[in-house]
Amino acid sequence: MNDYSKEAQKALASPRLQASLHTLQDRFGKGAMALWANMEDQEMRRRVKKSRLKNLEHLDILLAELARNVRARGGKVYFAETAQDAIDYTLKVARDNKVKRVVKGKSMISMEIGIDPALEEDGIEVVETDLGEYIIQLAGDKPSHIIAPCIHMDRKQIGQLFAEKLGMDYTDDPPTLTMAARKELREKLLSADMGLTGCNLACAETGHISLVSNEGNIRMATTMPPVHVALMGMERIVATLEEHRETVQLLTRGAALQKLSTYVSFTGGPSSADDPDGPKEFHLVIIDNGRAKILADPEFREVLACIRCGACLNICPVYGRIGGHAYNSSYCGPIGAVITPLLDGINKHADLCKGETLCGACKDICPVQIDLPRMLAALRQKLAYASDRWDTRQHNPAEAYGFTIWRLIITRKPLYRSLLKIGRLFQRVFIKKNNMISSMAGIASGWTDGRDLPPIAKKTFTELWEEKYRNRQAAAAPETEENQ
Amino acid sequence: MDHNQAFFLGNIRTALGEAPHSERVKSMFPKLFASPDTTEIRQKIAGRTVAEQDELVEIFLKNGNSLNICSHIVASSDAAAAVVVELIRSKEPEFNHTKHVIGHDHPDIAALQLWKRFNREAVTVHTAFNSDRQVQEKTIASFIGITAPTIGVADSATLIQLTEPGRPRSTSLLPSIHIAIMRREHIVADLQEAYTLLRGRAHLDSLVFISGPSKTADIEAHMVHGAHGPREVHLIILAEPSAAGSDAATTEAA
Amino acid sequence: MSGKTVSLFIQCLVDTMFPETGEAMITVFDKLGIPYDYPTGQTCCGQPAFNSGYTRDAAAAARHFIDLFEDTEVIVCPSGSCVHMVRHHYPELFTDDPAMHSRALAIGAKTFEFTQYLVDELNITDVGAEYVGAVTYHDSCHLSRGLGIAAQPRVLLRNIRGLELIEMKDSDTCCGFGGTFSVNYPEISVAMADEKIDNILATGAGTVTGCDISCLMNILGRISRRQKDVKVRHIAQLLAGPTGGKA
Ligand code: SF4
Repeated sequence: MNDYSKEAQKALASPRLQASLHTLQDRFGKGAMALWANMEDQEMRRRVKKSRLKNLEHLDILLAELARNVRARGGKVYFAETAQDAIDYTLKVARDNKVKRVVKGKSMISMEIGIDPALEEDGIEVVETDLGEYIIQLAGDKPSHIIAPCIHMDRKQIGQLFAEKLGMDYTDDPPTLTMAARKELREKLLSADMGLTGCNLACAETGHISLVSNEGNIRMATTMPPVHVALMGMERIVATLEEHRETVQLLTRGAALQKLSTYVSFTGGPSSADDPDGPKEFHLVIIDNGRAKILADPEFREVLACIRCGACLNICPVYGRIGGHAYNSSYCGPIGAVITPLLDGINKHADLCKGETLCGACKDICPVQIDLPRMLAALRQKLAYASDRWDTRQHNPAEAYGFTIWRLIITRKPLYRSLLKIGRLFQRVFIKKNNMISSMAGIASGWTDGRDLPPIAKKTFTELWEEKYRNRQAAAAPETEENQ
Repeated sequence: MDHNQAFFLGNIRTALGEAPHSERVKSMFPKLFASPDTTEIRQKIAGRTVAEQDELVEIFLKNGNSLNICSHIVASSDAAAAVVVELIRSKEPEFNHTKHVIGHDHPDIAALQLWKRFNREAVTVHTAFNSDRQVQEKTIASFIGITAPTIGVADSATLIQLTEPGRPRSTSLLPSIHIAIMRREHIVADLQEAYTLLRGRAHLDSLVFISGPSKTADIEAHMVHGAHGPREVHLIILAEPSAAGSDAATTEAA
Repeated sequence: MSGKTVSLFIQCLVDTMFPETGEAMITVFDKLGIPYDYPTGQTCCGQPAFNSGYTRDAAAAARHFIDLFEDTEVIVCPSGSCVHMVRHHYPELFTDDPAMHSRALAIGAKTFEFTQYLVDELNITDVGAEYVGAVTYHDSCHLSRGLGIAAQPRVLLRNIRGLELIEMKDSDTCCGFGGTFSVNYPEISVAMADEKIDNILATGAGTVTGCDISCLMNILGRISRRQKDVKVRHIAQLLAGPTGGKA
């Protein structure tokens, strides 16, 4: 069995996880849909989507402008083509500043490029400061939701973890646990040598990055340590403050139904002599790591309009059953199912491309209406026929062969009809008393392991048509009415 | 422009079907950075009557309430000082044993004259003066931080704090309690108005929107206030008496 | 009322496994005096191939369908996802072939889902049917999200005499079918079906209905395995009255 299904089974077997996923989706998924339905300005989402796409088309100009403005304030900007480039640069900054401890603000791109292990290998202590991420780090686990990383853990587990790792008395009281982490992390935040964050949304015209958070950890990580390094996916940029205003509101609404998160902080450079409160160095690392390739393909460019709000996770019925770990990626849920294969290999993540029902809920909830189902189908097409552009092999030759035969059959009516008749004869041994088929072999067992299947009818509609209706239909309609 | 940047942006141009080496300059795309005309919004803000401002205060209070912002409306600096003094007296420090308070270097905070109100008590009042290298230490030692945000946004109950010399970032962040003092006329209706006012200030290194105390819901979606930042936010709205409850509003305040 | 002759587009699953749904549609059309015919060359619209990424194979199915149905006046189908396939995905399959593209668009424009045709095209909201009992309705994804059809089936149901419509929780959440998904990832698919069925059971309704046999087959298959006593009926069977289809 593939890892995706294996992890999915684990998740399905955990009543606790199922309960928290339910709560999450009932509250945030439905909440976001209601928000969109009741929003006064019904054009806003379309407008923001349009501006996101427009900005992608002018990304070179926007990034140059952002860099210029940040540099004008004394910030450093580095353009990293690959994950390794970004890691190398950050490591160099850390070494130059003799950094011993890094405090992190929740950042998915840091996970995407795998910077933590690289820093740790260099003997640097890396501390996650978002409460959820901190819990995950203590537990040596992986996050399972973009916004709520430890949604898969309950208060008892967290209580035990804290008792074990922080040496406190066991409690499962969320406020007490939060206060314990507050104390512990304050020490770390105040004594760190470097803050490492992501970037939710940069604004080119003003030369700021902006970060949203409810906890305040990101503000601390960008204020207290003498060095701040911000890692930014190259697409996370708007041209103007005006665009920022609308985009950030969609982000916080989509993410947690908030008009704004508690903090939206704008940073665009190091502190100055007359205002010494803040980092002495500010580094902005703008990262490609496979994004230009996505940008180049009109079929997938749209996915770069994503603002990583995580709303699609909160409605996806697949994510809602299997949680985040099955995706085995820094990005889970519907957005993860599209972006992970594109960034990290379509063949490698074939199950992410295929493991959804294409129900369309993610597109409905997405604040910028990204058509993820369309792109999932497009990814499947690469797997079906292979693709040089995406360096993708045919995923399942047997399936491909199957569809070739299917095509031969369904475009030839007589063949189709005869095969149905054969199937009807053949199925007889399988039909149970309840007139259902309840076990089949091979791939079909995927259906009958958990479900019954109605057999091919004694007479198909086509046969009934020939027998009962074709001639009757030859008569005029009014006569038919009298017959009733 | 460094080599990396040239190469990186060249890749993007290639991806967009442009010639990689021909840099596209901003001036060729005037519409890209165009912002809507905000004259009307500015006029609306400037022309607000005191009665209209009071309405915005109401909305702010209502929205702030659901975000756990404690609001106090006062008519004078003395009344504001009374609120602050009472908070300093009644609240206990979280991380230290002594009561230190730090305030921004701002006339509305200076007008509280806090330094002379604690003669016989062990309360130390700091001001975050411009260029003070010890400002972070003082802030870490303080359990209450007092700021005077530049803009308040009624619709989202947001305080907009600009970072300027004498008004550092950590005052509203490190102390357990954040007290914000704001004049009624600094409250605008919504983010659109707020961003309009921000446009002229966007050269600043840093600024922050604050909508309530720090919070987290990472443990079983259970809401807890005071994750890393302040666990309490108090807003003191300074509404000069001329208009209190009267409809003889003048537009002077605007 | 439109005097157009309806060409019946009978989804392959209806043809082979649920012919009573097709017959029920005929009963309703007869009752309303709507003329119809049935192009017998039809097989499958190509959806399974399309959803699995085999767009070239799906395009072959689309050509077959378009050739067959091109000269019809109006096409009506008892399956939302098939209509969605024809309306929305057929044109996508021929973006490189302008001639086929416009043929696909033309076919799409005259293809309707059954309840959509009755309510939106013919303004019929009451077909004079009777069905005694409580019924709950499942919103199929491609029907409700893809085609925006949610009110039409409900108004038709409410006008059935004796029928009490009880809404289930999350009626528009996917049932877990997803074509080949259901056999490739059965554990996820069944878990989703279970969720749907729990919501159906919670209504206490004796019958669940919908406008797409694919979903209903998935729900039926799992209900049967769980041995729950809930009838699964295509909406056409309810609209055909007590005699529509087998009990
Ligand atoms: S795809 Fe849409 S809903 Fe999902 S994270 Fe991105 S912006 Fe949010």
